[in-house]
Amino acid sequence: MAYDPASLDKPFDVLKAFDWGGDASAFQPIDAAVVVAHADPAARADLEKRLAALLGAGTSRAAKEYVCRKLSLIGTAASVPSLAALLPEKEHSHMARFALERINAPEAADSLRKALGAVTGDLKIGMISSLAGRGDSASVPLLAALLSGESQTAIAAADALGRIHSPEAAGALASATATHPAATAAIIDARLACAEALLRQGKRAEATAIYKSLADASAAGTTPTAKAARLAAARGLLACLDTTTAS
Amino acid sequence: MRLLSPRLPMAGSLVCSLLAMACLSGGLRSGEATAAEAGPQNAVQMTIDFLARDDADYRSIGLDRVRYGVKGEEATRQFAGLLSKLAPARQRELTAALADRGDRAALPAVLALLQSASDGTVRVAAIHAIGALGAGSEVAVLTSLLAAADPEKSAARRALTVVRGPEATALLVAATKQADPALRPTLIDILADRRATSALPDLLGLAVADDAAIRTAAMRALGKFGGPDQVPGIVQGVLKAVAGGERDEAERALVTVCTQSPRKEESATTFLAQFKAADEPSREALLPALGRVGGTAAIAIVDTLIANTDASQRKLGLKALTKWPDATVSDRLLDLLGKAQDPAERELLLGSLIRIAPLPDNKLNDAQKLELLKKTMTLCERDEDRKRVLERANAIRTVDTLRFVMPYLDDPNLAEPACLSVVELAHHRSLRDANKDEFTKALDKVLGMTKNEELVDRATRYKQGQTWERKKPAGS
Repeated sequence: MAYDPASLDKPFDVLKAFDWGGDASAFQPIDAAVVVAHADPAARADLEKRLAALLGAGTSRAAKEYVCRKLSLIGTAASVPSLAALLPEKEHSHMARFALERINAPEAADSLRKALGAVTGDLKIGMISSLAGRGDSASVPLLAALLSGESQTAIAAADALGRIHSPEAAGALASATATHPAATAAIIDARLACAEALLRQGKRAEATAIYKSLADASAAGTTPTAKAARLAAARGLLACLDTTTAS
Repeated sequence: MRLLSPRLPMAGSLVCSLLAMACLSGGLRSGEATAAEAGPQNAVQMTIDFLARDDADYRSIGLDRVRYGVKGEEATRQFAGLLSKLAPARQRELTAALADRGDRAALPAVLALLQSASDGTVRVAAIHAIGALGAGSEVAVLTSLLAAADPEKSAARRALTVVRGPEATALLVAATKQADPALRPTLIDILADRRATSALPDLLGLAVADDAAIRTAAMRALGKFGGPDQVPGIVQGVLKAVAGGERDEAERALVTVCTQSPRKEESATTFLAQFKAADEPSREALLPALGRVGGTAAIAIVDTLIANTDASQRKLGLKALTKWPDATVSDRLLDLLGKAQDPAERELLLGSLIRIAPLPDNKLNDAQKLELLKKTMTLCERDEDRKRVLERANAIRTVDTLRFVMPYLDDPNLAEPACLSVVELAHHRSLRDANKDEFTKALDKVLGMTKNEELVDRATRYKQGQTWERKKPAGS
């Protein structure tokens, strides 16, 4: 099937005013075009441009959600400005992140990092989650700075650093000081995630250092978190010692 | 969350544990490199340290490593070496972990544990482990445990079922001939559970042994995994079986092979050939099984017998016909029932028709099944038989069955079985909902008539769109 831009005029008109519960079959040709565009760079550029154009004012929320889903499949750096403009909007931020998290272009990560400093509350936690989803090492300093802040944000940042699990992320977590017990637990959990990732990569010495540090730090603790940390560290240290078994 | 998933322990610090490892008994030397600096040997030591702890969470970490980590026979031997030094509860958990590890290097220590342990749960764990790790060389010790009381006997039976290797099967076969006669049926059952095809020739020999218990066990085994090649021998087993319970069990084995085994068609053909080649007394003995197997070739034999002027031959033919496994003989049964004068013959034929009409064997569709049952009803002369027809009707789950049953609600002698069938049909929500008005009227009528409290409860629930849970039979 060849890409036929003219055949998409009517579906795009219908899409613009689409609302949930409406007849989605009218823009099935757009779905088909997305499939074709994967193997046709010119078609992909044209389709991406037409989809991104719908992200401005005058398009329904349901339509924008549909567009974000499609851009997550065929989007490039060209879509990033339109998607990034939605990041501070409560209604659209989530779906814009859905697309930006999946677009394989450094500009997408840049836009999420910029938005991280500009939004607050749940939207900020969303940016943290998406940066973690991209495994974005460049965001480690930004995330590290959040570890000592408000607890929910600190927990999200710790989780993100654990998911990124680069040596830099592990270092940031090791030197972090949380102000809230829940954030402390999240940091320990993230450090364990880093150690597990390092062990999987065969970096036993680095993983052992993390586990030993956690064991030392929790040695005298009597809280449930300290006890759990001791156990997890013990399990990890034993795994590090066991060079006969794939981690 | 990684942190919160482990159970929470009360434990000494890990660092202390690492240092203490060097002081442990069991061959560890002081002055060794610290755990973090060394290789797998220290993983073994750390695991052993965890296994020796009172804290169940640390032991769990150690046991996990025994099961899935620290590979190698030397490590296995070191873990197994702990068995003799632990308390019974710890022996049990380590034995189970060693069984899961699957390394035969643990076997000497497990066998020693079995010999020395007095705690029953430890002995059972050791027997399980011997089954998991053992091979032919362990068959003798496990076989001797079959003479023990439960739970050791059950554990030994299970262990002999899973113990590995063709040598193990050969030794089990030998034991079926040499062991204490009381144990031989159990050994045959074990061979059956192992699906030991290499034992099939021996099982055929045992199927005609002098001891009835051994014959029965061998036939039971052959029924489980025999095929067409074994059918001639299975037939001999049926003929050798004493009439009554043993013969019934033997027939069941033959019928199972001919109707349910992977090569059932070939098996049935072989059986038919065996039947045709048999002498008269043997054919008489095999006729019930022939009827249960069914098939077009068998029906010709049965027809000939029924047409025979000799009353005893006719009776044999009728008996075989009434055991037929499907509704393909329904026309014959109806025809014979229409002509039958002898009450016993009528009873036999009627019972067969009522049984086969709703069988879920795809030989008839629902309309044909109901039609057959209606015809059977017209041939009933006693309310007792009509009652059986009504009770069997609910196995045909259609609205036409409801319409067939409804008029009998007005017959005082048949109202109760009719009520039961209406309620049973209403039990099926898809049928009930698709014919809501008819079922509502029928259930109202049932509620106005029946004195059976369970039927009242069920009818009320179904009318309200609720479900009803059938009570499980006692002991299930």
